[in-house]
Amino acid sequence: MSSETPLLKVENVVKHFPIHGGLFSRQVASVKAVSDISFELKRGETLGLVGESGCGKSTLGRCLIRLIEPTSGKIIFKGEDITHVDDNRMRDLRRKMQIIFQDPYASLNPRMTIGAILEEPLIIHNLYPVEKERAERVQELIKLVGLRPEHLSRYPHEFSGGQRQRVGIARALAVNPEIIICDEPVSALDVSIQAQVINLLMELQQKLGLTYIFIAHDLKVVEHVSTKVAVMYLGQIVEFAEADELYKNPLHPYTKALLSAIPIPDPKPRPERIILTGDVPSPIAPPPGCYFNPRCPMASVECTQIKPELEEKSPGHFARCIKVPATI
Amino acid sequence: MSETLLEVTNLRTRYKTDDGNIFPVDDISFRVKKGQTLGIVGESGCGKSQTALSIMRLIQKPGEIVSGDVQFKGESLLKKTEDEMRDILGNQMAMIFQEPMTSLNPVYTIGDQIEESIRLHQKGLTNLQIKNKAIDMLKLVGIPAADKRYHEYPHQLSGGMRQRVMIAMAMSCTPQLLIADEPTTALDVTIQAQILDLMRKVQKEFQAGMILITHDLGVVAEMCQDVIVMYAGKIVEYGTVEDIFYRPKHPYTKGLLDSIPHFETGSRMKQLNTIPGLVPSLYNLPVGCRFQERCKFAQEDCRRAEPNLENLRGIHKVACYHPVQSEGGN
Ligand SMILES: Nc1ncnc2c1ncn2[C@@H]1O[C@H](COP(=O)(O)OP(=O)(O)OP(=O)(O)O)[C@@H](O)[C@H]1O
Ligand SMILES: Nc1ncnc2c1ncn2[C@@H]1O[C@H](COP(=O)(O)OP(=O)(O)OP(=O)(O)O)[C@@H](O)[C@H]1O
Ligand code: SF4
Ligand SMILES: [Mg+2]
Ligand SMILES: [Mg+2]
Repeated sequence: MSSETPLLKVENVVKHFPIHGGLFSRQVASVKAVSDISFELKRGETLGLVGESGCGKSTLGRCLIRLIEPTSGKIIFKGEDITHVDDNRMRDLRRKMQIIFQDPYASLNPRMTIGAILEEPLIIHNLYPVEKERAERVQELIKLVGLRPEHLSRYPHEFSGGQRQRVGIARALAVNPEIIICDEPVSALDVSIQAQVINLLMELQQKLGLTYIFIAHDLKVVEHVSTKVAVMYLGQIVEFAEADELYKNPLHPYTKALLSAIPIPDPKPRPERIILTGDVPSPIAPPPGCYFNPRCPMASVECTQIKPELEEKSPGHFARCIKVPATI
Repeated sequence: MSETLLEVTNLRTRYKTDDGNIFPVDDISFRVKKGQTLGIVGESGCGKSQTALSIMRLIQKPGEIVSGDVQFKGESLLKKTEDEMRDILGNQMAMIFQEPMTSLNPVYTIGDQIEESIRLHQKGLTNLQIKNKAIDMLKLVGIPAADKRYHEYPHQLSGGMRQRVMIAMAMSCTPQLLIADEPTTALDVTIQAQILDLMRKVQKEFQAGMILITHDLGVVAEMCQDVIVMYAGKIVEYGTVEDIFYRPKHPYTKGLLDSIPHFETGSRMKQLNTIPGLVPSLYNLPVGCRFQERCKFAQEDCRRAEPNLENLRGIHKVACYHPVQSEGGN
């Protein structure tokens, strides 16, 4: 595989959750959690996925490894269309595609020792069938994430949040994945512990050549780890670019508002700040026109009428807004 | 202008448990002036919420305040009767909790709940006056279509709107002191910016004093004039916001500031600074400085006795034998 072939290619992925109701539990509406998402990711890259709560980040992340079945669209992993492959094939593929969850408290089985938690995926995928080799692999994994072999006999409740997140990372790494979806891996942690986990993820990426999709609502964390960034709003990507470009030259009014809303740890007075009014609209009944128009400081009448496309506004820099002029 | 509103001196709160006695609030002293915002920061479990609850005398058994004093407008709150305290909590002090769902009653409309709080604290208004005032409060906190929302139940509102309702309720009694415990932690950044902006406006309007508890140093920098850094139940550093951000003296404060990812091109993908190790358990504190196991400046003296909070310049204080020599000097 040449270095130019994308490791992961996502084409027009859509996910609607049906809402049932009424006398015969008919479908009465649907939650449009993810609409028409497309992007490509090369080996060794990190795509940062940011956006407000409920905008569809986790749903998209889960669709990509088919923990949730997408309603439509295509997911191509190393040239293979995996959108409809059967369960057997998917089980094999999951070895290569792992996920780390947001909540380090809820995602580990409280009745299993750390050793058993790390051994489980090896048994499921029939890796290291010889028990002694499997035990060695588990030891190697625990050391890889900066914990000690004596921790293996302990239970999750004996660990702090940051340590549990390390166990979650070790479990994802057990089967030698190529891509890891990190769903808010540090959001539940204190800053000093956040930094430890972020460092670990970056270090492992370099050592093992991993590709990440890094989901977060914290733009600072995303900027720190990502090579590309996609900003989501109400199920859609509204802006997509190389990380440097996106932070230096944000185009979409929502991205600008997000960047401007981040509290900066410096008491110097800041000149302008964009404060949005109103609330995030419902994904069950998105507003007509641009989904951002009810909160957008730049919105005009056209914005309530025209549905903007994700357009390449300058080379490699995409935005979904009719007010942003294209310069190519 | 710079009138002292709240003065806390050597406050200690103890929990007696089967595993031993702990002091989540251990010899805490600080002052809040009228119109001023004091920030309290520190890692999870360091005693921020317990400090707030102690001030309002809301500590539940097996916890109790064992020493120190809390003076509000020159009078000791610890000497008040329960009735007097209830009166103060509704009329002069208000609290905004982190999770608004737990403090709003799910079976009443938000209109009813705001009316109730107005009725309780402002005697002699007609029903219509109360209703109008309630709607005004909802408008003040930026609830769109306030007269319609008025009839809705808490679960029908988004997290950001519930938090605004909480602020409206807290403000409906025009408090002189507002205690906000992580008021925006559960919210998104754009909504957070909206709520903080609102709190600043409302505070200015009423010239209220505010205690803002958060673990987000960005929020502190934007909102506060004075800052307390807590570690394992103690104040380790206290100063103006400039002292803390530009001239941090405690190795823990410095470590916290250094571990935040910054928006600087060039810093991307680099290793972040971290504070190694973990906060000690309150049940098993080391002899000497509580930060010693994680501190790169620790020496023999740090393991012998606990450092006192020593005065530096102005209100700046630090509890450390080997304070950081920061660039700004002090
Ligand atoms: N199983 C489900 N059934 C119905 N609706 C769902 C389901 N899962 C998610 N949703 C809805 O889909 C939308 C997107 O949710 P998702 O969890 O992907 O958001 P998110 O961006 O990850 O948010 P957060 O930052 O809060 O984690 C939300 O409106 C959510 O309520
Ligand atoms: N009812 C209780 N019994 C015993 N210990 C308690 C009780 N309530 C709180 N504590 C202890 O008091 C300490 C301080 O808790 P507090 O809730 O004030 O922390 P915090 O700084 O607000 O943390 P967070 O950022 O997680 O909200 C904790 O170590 C906690 O375990
Ligand atoms: S007193 Fe010693 S151990 Fe404590 S913070 Fe200062 S240098 Fe570090
Ligand atoms: Mg999510
Ligand atoms: Mg708390």
